[in-house]
Amino acid sequence: MRQDDFQRRHEAEWAALDEWLALRSRPSRKLRSQDAEAAFGDLEFARAYRRVCQQLAIAERRGYSGVVLERLRMLVHRGHLVLYRPPALRLQAALSFVASGFPRLVRAEWRAMAISALLLFAPMLAMIALLQWRPELVGSVFEPAQLAELEGMYDPDAPHGKLGRESGSDLRMFGYYVYNNVSIGFRTYASGLLAGIGPVFVLMMNGTLIGTAAGHLTAIGHGGPFWRFVVGHSAPELLAIVIAGGAGLGLGMALLAPGRLTRSRALAQAGAVGAKLVLGAFAMLMFAAFIEAYWSSIGSLPDSVKFGSGALIWLAMLGWLALGGRTR
Amino acid sequence: MIDTLALVETPEGISLRLRAAGVMPRAAAWALDVAIRLSVLIGLGMLFTLLGEAGGGAYLLGLFCVVWGYPVAFEVLRDGQTPGKQIVGLRVVHANGTPVGWLASVVRNLMRTVDMLPFGYGIGVVAGLVDRRGRRLGDIVAGTLVVHADATRAAIAAPSVPVIDLVQPLSAGERSALVAFAERAPSLTPERQGELASLLPMLTNAHGAIAVQRLLGIAAGILGRR
Repeated sequence: MRQDDFQRRHEAEWAALDEWLALRSRPSRKLRSQDAEAAFGDLEFARAYRRVCQQLAIAERRGYSGVVLERLRMLVHRGHLVLYRPPALRLQAALSFVASGFPRLVRAEWRAMAISALLLFAPMLAMIALLQWRPELVGSVFEPAQLAELEGMYDPDAPHGKLGRESGSDLRMFGYYVYNNVSIGFRTYASGLLAGIGPVFVLMMNGTLIGTAAGHLTAIGHGGPFWRFVVGHSAPELLAIVIAGGAGLGLGMALLAPGRLTRSRALAQAGAVGAKLVLGAFAMLMFAAFIEAYWSSIGSLPDSVKFGSGALIWLAMLGWLALGGRTR
Repeated sequence: MIDTLALVETPEGISLRLRAAGVMPRAAAWALDVAIRLSVLIGLGMLFTLLGEAGGGAYLLGLFCVVWGYPVAFEVLRDGQTPGKQIVGLRVVHANGTPVGWLASVVRNLMRTVDMLPFGYGIGVVAGLVDRRGRRLGDIVAGTLVVHADATRAAIAAPSVPVIDLVQPLSAGERSALVAFAERAPSLTPERQGELASLLPMLTNAHGAIAVQRLLGIAAGILGRR
């Protein structure tokens, strides 16, 4: 068939698809008011798209000229973008991810998680224990000015109503915790691409700093306000950092030891797994920030409520990660 | 990177032509995005300063959304184009040509943390220059590509002239060259058209404007005009 006959025969089809695509792919406000079904029904789109693909293949095979090829390529390209558009976010999918998909993924990556937890908790517990025995060692971690600020923040004799902060309203601190903590979580994961050095560094440093602060405050008798403040949000916050770190370590391992895959393919796989883990960690950090800003800071509650709720949150978080999504 | 065209076969059995974007257009798009984000942040800052203490918290939440959420939301919801990429004419797609999804977009944007090192996107630029398809590390981990978004070009049909039937047989390549000449002729000067047409005296037995008319006539015949 000569090119002009081909063009004449299919022109109406192409024009209809063109019109439909103009109305369906990110239309301008003016076009949005029109009904794309006027061109053809939405259900017809897949068939129309496949026909244009076939016509493009034929046109290329027959050596038709740029006028036809460009036209068809453009239609195919736009159709491709519409057909393979990412699905809209569904609440159902998000809920099922939180309830079962995420805990399953954490358990599937248990090796990375265990190493990550070790890197965070070992220095933390070691510093707490060490400072009970040799309190003067705190000087090797914190500057005197930092120490003074820390001690002032958790002074049991200070007459402030809010725990764990110098000043600032709940919303202000919530914004601060979200921005600060989530950014740290994201960076911990991403820096895993540096052969896993990033998360190792972040985890050990945070473990050391947190452990030093906790150990020092406990040693000098400021432990009461400190533990009352941190017990509520510690579970989601520390576990989220462990998970983000584990995701980063997985990324580092994909780079160092890709196994039977090519390095880029191993990285792509670890990247997808890690992104899911980090999205879960993101939700946990939002939860932690909420508790930290609105619950942990309340100074007037009795110890039993503070520590009871903290223990409950720890149990709930661990139970969720250990049991969520199990079928038996 | 001389030719960045990548052919990607789709399930429909055709090849998508993806033209990977290099470092410079991507840097331009990034700079535009930074300018947009900064102006949004300055606007938010002025607005929330009026609200005092609570405004500070709302500002930090806004900062979080602009820093981490902006690229992901725009890339996924607007066919792989942040405003900066849209102005420059770039698009993020999966390596198989499909529009970028949530997960891939999250990964490639989180990995900016590493691509930014040691300063000024050093790692990202080096990776983009080394990689055949101009991918920075984030693109490799996410399995994505940044491509030039093709602008819709109005196709120019060959001019209508009286048909001249071919006497001697021509190969497929020769026929498509003649048609390509006819379709490009309207965008060439008459002198250049004459020059090109004079290269084929064996087909036209003429020179200059007459040769052009004869070639256009032959092309019309090849296209199947009557």
